[in-house]
Amino acid sequence: MDARLRRVNKEIADCKNDKSSKIQLDLVDESPFHLKGSFPGPEGTPYEGGRFEVDIRIPDSYPFQPLKMKFITKVYHPNVSSASGAICLDILKDQWSPVLTLKSTLISLQSLLCSPEPDDPQDAEVAKHYMTSRSSFEETARYWTHIYAGGPDPKAKDGGSGGGSRDEVAMAGLEKAHVDQFEALGFERGKVIDVLRRLNYRGANVTKITEDRVVEELLKP
Amino acid sequence: MKVTIKNWNAIAQWRWDIGKEFDETDDEDLCGICRVAYEGCCPRCKMPGDDCPVLWGECGHVYHMHCIMQWIEQQPPNKQNCPMDRKPWITAERKTANTATQQTQAVQS
Repeated sequence: MDARLRRVNKEIADCKNDKSSKIQLDLVDESPFHLKGSFPGPEGTPYEGGRFEVDIRIPDSYPFQPLKMKFITKVYHPNVSSASGAICLDILKDQWSPVLTLKSTLISLQSLLCSPEPDDPQDAEVAKHYMTSRSSFEETARYWTHIYAGGPDPKAKDGGSGGGSRDEVAMAGLEKAHVDQFEALGFERGKVIDVLRRLNYRGANVTKITEDRVVEELLKP
Repeated sequence: MKVTIKNWNAIAQWRWDIGKEFDETDDEDLCGICRVAYEGCCPRCKMPGDDCPVLWGECGHVYHMHCIMQWIEQQPPNKQNCPMDRKPWITAERKTANTATQQTQAVQS
């Protein structure tokens, strides 16, 4: 049996035997080299209460090459692409070490959710949001956790059941009043959300960006 | 009663010196790279023994020689580090754990 398969089988078995870490590994198809990992969002973060799924591909030369991981669950985080789930984390790149395992790498992802690195972002827009207004960023991250990761509803303080209709304004981390204001000028709502998100029209930035600047962006085809 | 020994077989057991007492229940006695016991061999070898020895770093970490060499050889020169502590890898000339030394001394005295 080849070295990679032997090690991976062992790691999957170890993960099954360890109930304390709450990290789960599942096969995606017939291949033992394509897995789905999942872990709970860390407590005391906007991701608390959600469960986050990660697509894992084990390269041919594992463990001498890093695992390929990306989020399946959408995550609002400066180091995770909000569109593709791609992750910016040094150990998945040049800081990989062959003593790292599926489990220890997933634990590292879990701790990445605790400590964002906005200076080395994967998603520049999310990073800007994080830097501009932490409380607004956390609100959005909590909302995404509720919508995508099955976390508690941030609006229902008693932690009501998941689901609910998506609020595009909250998803983008914007103020409803701002969106309404520009929509009232006759622009399409979707376009307003898109432009305000791109301009990072949040927190203290709102006073720095003139209405004309927003309209100018909105008029671009 | 007189016992006459007609025949005897000597059996010896060997283990690599990994710097601590052998503990059967300890699953840490594995090469961190391939996750196979030090006593076994690296995944590319068939027989444990001198053909597939373990290697000590100056930092005290131990791997199958073939495993650590494969890692070191694929790294750029400025990043040839111990996978455990990321310090530059320096193979220890010959390192003997204290436990083993003490045992040898006990036998000698």
